[in-house]
Formats: sequence, structure tokens, C-alpha cells
Amino acid sequence: MALVKLNDLEIEVEDGTNIVEAARQHGIEVPHYCYHPGLSRPANCRMCLVETFTSPAGSEMPDRQLATGCTTTVRTAPPDRKLDGKYDFIVRTDSPRVKKAREDVLEFLLVHHPLDCPVCDQAGECDLQDYSYRHGHDKSRYLEVKNVPPKKDLGPDVLLYSTRCVVCTRCIRFAQEVSGTGELGLINRGSHDEIDIPRSHEGTPLQLLDNKLAGNVVDICPVGALISKDFLFKSRPWFLEKANSVCTGCSVGCNITVEYKADGVYRIKPRFHEDINQHWICDDGRLGYHYVNSDDRLQLPLKRVENELAPTHWADALSVITEQLSETEADDIVVIGSAQATNEDNYVLQQFAHDVLQTTQLGLFGHPLGEEHKFPQFTIEADKNPNTAGARTILGSANGNVVLEGDALWEKVSGAKIVYLVSGGPERPLEDAEKAALENVDFLIVQDVLQSEATQLADVVLPGTTFVEKDGTITNSTGWVQRIRKTIDPPGEARVDWEITQQLAKQLGGEMNYRFAGEIAIAIAENVSGYADATHQNIGDAGIKLAE
Amino acid sequence: MVEEKRILYEHLDVPDINTFDVFRQYDGYKRFEKAIAEYQPDDIAKMVMDSGLKGRGGAGFSTGLKWSFVPRDIKPCYLCCNADESEPGTFSNRYVLEKNPHLLIEGILICCYAMGIETTYVYIRGEFTLGKRMLDAAIKEAYEKGYLGKDVRGTGLNIDIYTHPGAGAYICGEETGLIESLEGKRGQPRNKPPFPAVEGVFMKPTVVQNVETLCNLPFIVGNGVEWYTKMGPTYADTRNDPPTPDPNTGTKLYCISGDVNEPGVYELELGLTCSELIEVAGGLRGEEVKAVIPGGSSAPILTHYELDTRLDFTSLTLAKSMLGSGGIIVMNETRNIVDCLLNIMKFYAHESCGQCTPCRWGTPWVRDIVQRIADGGGRPDTITRPKFGVTESGRWGDTGETEEIYEDLDLLESVANNIANVDTMTWNTICVFGIAVSWPAVSYMRKFRPEFEAAIREGKLVTLPVAEATVPPEENYAYQQRFIPKEFADL
Ligand SMILES: Cc1cc2nc3c(=O)[nH]c(=O)nc-3n(C[C@H](O)[C@H](O)[C@H](O)COP(=O)(O)O)c2cc1C
Ligand code: SF4
Ligand code: SF4
Ligand code: SF4
Ligand code: FES
Repeated sequence: MALVKLNDLEIEVEDGTNIVEAARQHGIEVPHYCYHPGLSRPANCRMCLVETFTSPAGSEMPDRQLATGCTTTVRTAPPDRKLDGKYDFIVRTDSPRVKKAREDVLEFLLVHHPLDCPVCDQAGECDLQDYSYRHGHDKSRYLEVKNVPPKKDLGPDVLLYSTRCVVCTRCIRFAQEVSGTGELGLINRGSHDEIDIPRSHEGTPLQLLDNKLAGNVVDICPVGALISKDFLFKSRPWFLEKANSVCTGCSVGCNITVEYKADGVYRIKPRFHEDINQHWICDDGRLGYHYVNSDDRLQLPLKRVENELAPTHWADALSVITEQLSETEADDIVVIGSAQATNEDNYVLQQFAHDVLQTTQLGLFGHPLGEEHKFPQFTIEADKNPNTAGARTILGSANGNVVLEGDALWEKVSGAKIVYLVSGGPERPLEDAEKAALENVDFLIVQDVLQSEATQLADVVLPGTTFVEKDGTITNSTGWVQRIRKTIDPPGEARVDWEITQQLAKQLGGEMNYRFAGEIAIAIAENVSGYADATHQNIGDAGIKLAE
Repeated sequence: MVEEKRILYEHLDVPDINTFDVFRQYDGYKRFEKAIAEYQPDDIAKMVMDSGLKGRGGAGFSTGLKWSFVPRDIKPCYLCCNADESEPGTFSNRYVLEKNPHLLIEGILICCYAMGIETTYVYIRGEFTLGKRMLDAAIKEAYEKGYLGKDVRGTGLNIDIYTHPGAGAYICGEETGLIESLEGKRGQPRNKPPFPAVEGVFMKPTVVQNVETLCNLPFIVGNGVEWYTKMGPTYADTRNDPPTPDPNTGTKLYCISGDVNEPGVYELELGLTCSELIEVAGGLRGEEVKAVIPGGSSAPILTHYELDTRLDFTSLTLAKSMLGSGGIIVMNETRNIVDCLLNIMKFYAHESCGQCTPCRWGTPWVRDIVQRIADGGGRPDTITRPKFGVTESGRWGDTGETEEIYEDLDLLESVANNIANVDTMTWNTICVFGIAVSWPAVSYMRKFRPEFEAAIREGKLVTLPVAEATVPPEENYAYQQRFIPKEFADL
């Protein structure tokens, strides 16, 4: 730990921390563009200048220098080299010299900038706008002609508005260091520097920015140069509500922020988690939310009438089900939980099966294994379910419960009279064996969010909710239990999955009365081994890791 | 009359000196053999330190001191010979490469022996196709004769030289830009520290040395330190108590071009004055000297008032200019300084590597302002601003008085100073290319302000008579370019 005098504050800073981070920890902004904590530090934007005072050997006067805050790190000084008798480091981020240097750099940054904020997607969350406002000049001295480099289509989701680029090279470094795909580079030189992908002499792209991490360059671009086509002109960022959540695209469990309005989800952004996803998410997770806003969402319960599925109301759907259930032997009923559903959904489901239906035969359903994608600093897992680990533990948590998966499950299903299948998540086609097994069932209840092959076979379909429409927890492949949060209301009359199950339980005389997901989490904490600390309160935004 | 003192260039014009056999007749490789036979590597390093040899590539940094920063326990260590010679006005290295390449090889061998280096890269300016061909041929010969390769002349030393052509970028002459380019990347200078001496080529300790610097080594070893230090002045640095010696020893390959009768490379002892140099180069072509660029295009300009400045490292630094690469460009009364600055700024705007913000966008901006003034588009508006000069306390600073100045000239000065401040000598850029831009921009404008003013006033380039065009030294704001503005002075 070094004792640092930062402006007029006296702070303790861990050795090796750079000035930008040290200041940030104490609420002081050091403006910066090229520096990103997840990337190497080229110190090329010169925006982060601070004034440092060091004591050169044998000199009384401290040496005052403008230094780049991103590459200047704090070190504990030897006892004879302390400043003012005690400080290891003195740094000012607010001296006249620093302020002038910032103004000057900002002036240069705006020289060729088109000042097209009114039509720029980044406006409102743009470092160039914000820093200019807080640290810049109020007018330009530039009278000459501006460079107008072309707008470029870099790949499936990324557009480059070259005129707005500040050449911080974050995007290039990302593609080199994190994704390792290296599609981006600089062409030309000096003031004609442009970001580009490899092209032939005629200008046809030889390689596109088309990797599963590509979307991150849009996030890290400090200005409106790299823009996501998915979000282009959809909304001003300040109109969006934000909620901290977790991606349900695979078992990594990347931390995300869901940005939404009342009418739906608008975009997904990564949220830092040191042990899980650092600063990044993949494009499957980023762009995979569209099913939530889809027209194919189930909005009303459906009931099979004369071999056709027809909309009905909840009371009717549930009474048809309870009638069937109460007439059937426990051994002939299979309840199948979901690796796409939350721990809370699965807990209520297993409680319903175990306590109310008194069956110990449960199943676990989820998306089939997909492809794993490994990058130098990121892995997308093959298990495309967010909660396989949690669902498996929780479904099997009550005495005597057996959780069947794969072939064993489908064998059991084909001999069952009633199957209550909870699915969820994006569309999940059925394999032939699964389809055959489900076709054999006398009475099939499917609880899902989209019309699917499974709902086509069902006798009753119950509309459930997606990860943005409910609260709950999920457990990733490395044992992190994390929270997802409700952002928007489910469409039509769709309901939170555990509520549907609880309603069924009640109608069959079960004693279950959870009022919100947090209560279920408390029950989980009490009854499921390993989850003792996993209450919503404890989990918070950072998640907790289950003991190994 | 001043005599040339040909040492490096002594045998330059001997027919076939580029071949091993002829070079050998003129002591070729004997100095290297002497080094191995008579001295330990550390002795050579000490001799170089004692000789006071300063780098000839531009920075004028003590070669011995640079070598002393190289950690001896990290291997491999590399030598990079900087043969990128692209500073406008500079053309001395190319003759060594084209005519006497074995001399460079001998210098490299001595450096390698002294520093325990086995691999040398010679980074040659791409346009020097002849130079590269001659050097490659000489290297081939040296391998054949056993002066390069495994177990050089039975000494157990292994020394290899590779030549690498540049691709036409000036910035690849900057030592870390050179290293990046050599490694196959974009030629963009690195942040320092770490300096190449600690982390250079392939992140290993690297000695980067100019061709001319290396060519001095055979003579220091061959003739001894005492002989070498007799050439050129050694000043006393009185900032230290007791004063320390400040050597400007040896000869310099001055490249004299512009308005002289016999432009060319002249090897002279360091320490001659500007006027003497012009005499050596056949005298001025024209009536009057208007200006002299003393050290390549990035050096601040000298006026006719400064012709008695001695052209060595120390004297030019004290004159707030620099010896740089030794490229001297003489301008007579017909030259228009605005036009000259435009020419130079076009070069720098084209050559900025574009890595850091101030230089990437500031340099073309400076060019555009000068272009606009030269085209007659300078704005006639003036502003009033504080005037700098010698203050009552006798120190340099804000005099409390004000001056009227054309807005565009204030803008020109301010933009240039925002890239790298010539007054505080602080820069916000990654490499010193920034100061190479603002030094000429600010010094031309300040020293020849009447000519800039005339261009704005008249709406076209106007070449004034020398006396009228030049700001006299009494107006010392133009000559003194190092002060601490008021607001920065207090802690
Ligand atoms: C913009 C710039 C261009 C340079 N170009 C050259 C060059 O062309 N040749 C050269 O020898 N040194 C050049 N230098 C100086 C080198 O960075 C370095 O100081 C030199 O090669 C060290 O060798 P020396 O100590 O033998 O002079 C340049 C420096 C800068 C900042
Ligand atoms: S496109 Fe964005 S991230 Fe890439 S260099 Fe330009 S400003 Fe930086
Ligand atoms: S890696 Fe998995 S959890 Fe992370 S963003 Fe991609 S799909 Fe979502
Ligand atoms: S100062 Fe200019 S040349 Fe040097 S690194 Fe910066 S942009 Fe490149
Ligand atoms: S953030 Fe430090 S130089 Fe760019």
C-alpha cells in the first residue's frame, strides 16, 4: 500500500494501480480514451494527463511532470524518497497545467469531428461529448477543411462511422488480445488513419468483423464510431431503463445490464464481473434477446379442443389439469424441470412433485449441447442452458428424488400418462426420440414461452416467462449463483413459472404460499445443501460462489 | 581558411574501397583486430565513454552513457544500426553505405565485441537501394573472410548482421518506431520508458546507433581516446559544482545544402561557426544569408544575427536550437520563410505516424494554417495578448505588457505549442516528433514574424529584405524559447 496525495485527498493505494483507477476509486474522473482496464495500454490518446510529483535522487525540489495517468502506476517509495516526509506519490488531476493540457487534447480530438451528435447513436453515453462538456473549450478555433473518411460496414452487426473515430485503437486491441481474431487494423497514416478490415485493392472485404465477440468493440468504442446495427436509431440511451441481470445464453452466466422500455428489451450490455466475464459478453448473449419481444410469444393458456389448440383462460386451463392430475396415480406422472428456468421455478416445481403429487420421478429438460467457442480471453460454453447446475441440484434436493436426464428420461416419459414439462428460453426443436416419447403421453402439459414443437404436442399449454420478466437466481457452470431481475411485464396473460406451479399445487390442496421469488430463495437456502448463503440479499449484484 | 578534417570520409573516394581487399589496405578491420587483441570488452566501452562520443543520429546522447544503461546479464542483446537517414537536409550516411560499407561493418564489430552482442540489424532507408546493395555485398565478403559469422577470426565471437529495408516512413528513423517496424509492425514509436537499452528489439536490450556514430568507433579504438578528444571543443558545464566536462569531441559529417556554391557533405571538427561552414561549402550563393537551419528540418532556425554560433551540440543547445543530424540548409535573401515553413510542415504533416492525438491532428492543422497564410487567406484580425520577455526579476516570463498579434499567428503558435511546447520544453506526445514539428513552426514564426505579418496583410507571400524580415535579438522573445509561464511557476 502506498500513501498517495491525490489533489487534496490523502489516500491509500495498492502498489501497481494506475492513476486513472486510483482516482476512480475515490470518485475523481481522469478522462481517458485509449485506456481500457481489460486491454493493453498504448497511451496514445494523451487525454489522461495528470501532474505527478516525484522526488529525484539527490534533489530537494520535487520533479513536476505531466504524465499519462493510464500508464503511471503508484509504487511505494523507499523511506528516504518520501515526498513531504510521508507520501509515496503526489499527483494532481486539477492543476492549471492539467486542465490546459486536457483542453488542448480535446480541441485536437474535435478538429475533424463532424459534430453530428444529433444523429449519433452514442449521444448521451459518449466520452467525447461528456469530456468536452466537462473539460473542453466552448468553441473551436479550427477553420480548415475537415477530413471526411467513409462510413464502413465492418461485419454482420458493426458499422463504422469513421468521421467520429478518435483512433484510440481499443477496437484493434480487443480483436488482437481478447478475441484473438485480429480482423481490425489501421490503414493510412497520420491524420488519415482509419480503422478498417482487410480489403483487396478494389476495396472488397477479405475478412469481416464476424466473430462471436465482435459486439464488444461497440461497447468499448468511447465515441460513436462503432455502432451496433441491432440498436441503430432504435432509441436514445437516456430513455432506456436499466437492470442488472445475467445472460441466460449459456452456462457461463455473463453479467449483463438489460436496457429496456415498457414495450420491450432494447439491448443487452456487458457488466463487469472479475471471475466470470470480465468486461465482455458474446454476441449470442448480446443479440439473443429477440425471442423475448417475438410475435410468437405465448400470451394465453391453450387447451386442445377437437385436436386443435385453442386459447382459454387460466381458471379453465388449470382446472383441466388438476382434474387430470387428481385422477392419475403418482407413478404415472412425470414432472420435468428446466435448465432454462430459475432455481426458484425449479424449487417450487420439485416441491409440487414431491409434496403434492408425491412422485419422486423428476426430469431435467434443457437445450441440447451446442458448440464451445474458445478465445484467448473468453470462452462460450457448449451447454446452452444457463442453469443446468442449479436445476439439477434443486430438482434432486428433496428426499428420494431421482432426476432423470437424456435417454432415461425419454424412456420414462413414453410410459407415462401425464407429463408436466417446463421448458422456457429461446426456441428448442425436438429430436425424434423426444418427439416420439412425448407423442406417447396421454396428457401433456407444456409450460413454455414460445410456440414450439413441444407445445404443438401438448394438451394444455401454459404461457411462462423469460429471464427479463421475472426475478430469480441461476447457477452457472463454475458454481456462481447470480440474480436475474424482472424488467418488463410478460406479454398478454403469461405468468411467472413458479407462480403457475404454485397455483396448481394450491388447487390440489398443497400448502404453498410464496409471495415473491426471494421467499423461495430463503426456502432453498434452508433446504438445499450448498445454498445456505444464497439468499437474494446476499447474492446482490456480485453473485456468490457455492462452496466447492 | 578552415580545412576539412576527413576521418570517416578519408578514404571515401579511393577506388574500390567498397571491396574487402582495398579496405584492408587502408587499415581495414585492423582496428577491430586491435580491439580484440589488446582490450577487454569493458575497456572498449570505457574508451567510448571517455572519448565523449555523442550520437550523430539526432539526439546527441552520449554513446558511452547509453551503453552503460544496457543490462549485461540479459541475453540476447541486439545492436540496431539506424541507417534510415530521412531527416530533410541530411545525406551523410548514404555515402558511407554506398562507398565505404566495410567501415560500418568494422564499427558494428567493435560495438558487438564491447557489448557482447551477436546479432545486428541494419535498418536502411528503403530508398537507399544502392546503399543496401553495397552493404549487402560487403557483408557477404566479410562473412567469406571470416569477419562475420560463427567464431569470427578464431576469437570465439559469433556475430551476424542482417540488413532490413524501410518502407519509406520518416518516423521509422525514431529508434522505437524503427524497432517496431523491424519487428514487422506498423512503424509507431513506443512509449518510453522502457528505453531500447532495456527493452528494445523483441523486448530485449538493444543498442540503437546511427551509422556515423558506429563509424567513429574504429578510429577511437585505432588512434586512442587522447587523439580523439583533441578534436572538437570540450566545454565546462558550470551548472555543476565543480564544473563537469561537456565534450563535443570528434568530427561531424555536416551536410550542407541550400544557397551555397558547393553543397555537399563536409567532414569537419565540431565547433566551427556557421559562417565558417558556409565558407567551407564554397560560400554563399546570393547576396546575404537570411536564415540557416542548423540540424535538419526539425531544428529551430538561425537568423543572420546568429551566424557566429558554433555548430556543435552544446552551443546549438544554448542557442535554443540543435545540431540534430547535422543537416545544414542555408537560405539567402530570395527565400520566403513562410514558404519554407510551409514546405517543412507539409513534410511533417505527411510523416506523423498518427499514433497520438496532438501530433496526428495538430501537425496537419499547423500545415493548413501556414498554407492558408501563404495562399493569402490569413485573417486580418488581431488580438491583444500578454507579452513574454525578460521580466523585472531578470528571469524569463510574462512581462506584464501586452502585444498586438494577428489572430492567425497566435493560433499557429498556440497549436504548435499544444503539440509540444517549445517554451516549457514539455510535450504531450509519445515521441519527440512533436517537438520536431513545433520547433520549426514557432521559431520561424517568431524570428521572421514580419514576413508572416506581411503575408497576412498583403494577402500573398511577400519576401522582405533580410533586415526587415528578421526580428532582432533584442526582441528576445523570438530567440529565447524556454521559460515557465506564470501560471505554472508556483507549486
Ligand atoms: C522523428 C525522428 C526521426 C529520426 N530519424 C533518424 C534517422 O533518420 N536516422 C538516425 O540515425 N536517427 C534518427 N533519429 C534519432 C533516433 O531516434 C536515435 O536517437 C538515434 O538513432 C540514436 O543513435 P545515435 O545515438 O547514434 O545518434 C530520429 C529521431 C526522431 C525523433
Ligand atoms: S473505432 Fe472507436 S474504438 Fe476503434 S479506434 Fe476509433 S474510436 Fe477507438
Ligand atoms: S458466453 Fe454465454 S453467458 Fe456469456 S454472453 Fe455469451 S451466451 Fe451469454
Ligand atoms: S508524436 Fe507523432 S510521430 Fe510521434 S508517436 Fe505521436 S503521432 Fe507518432
Ligand atoms: S488513456 Fe492515457 S493516454 Fe489514452
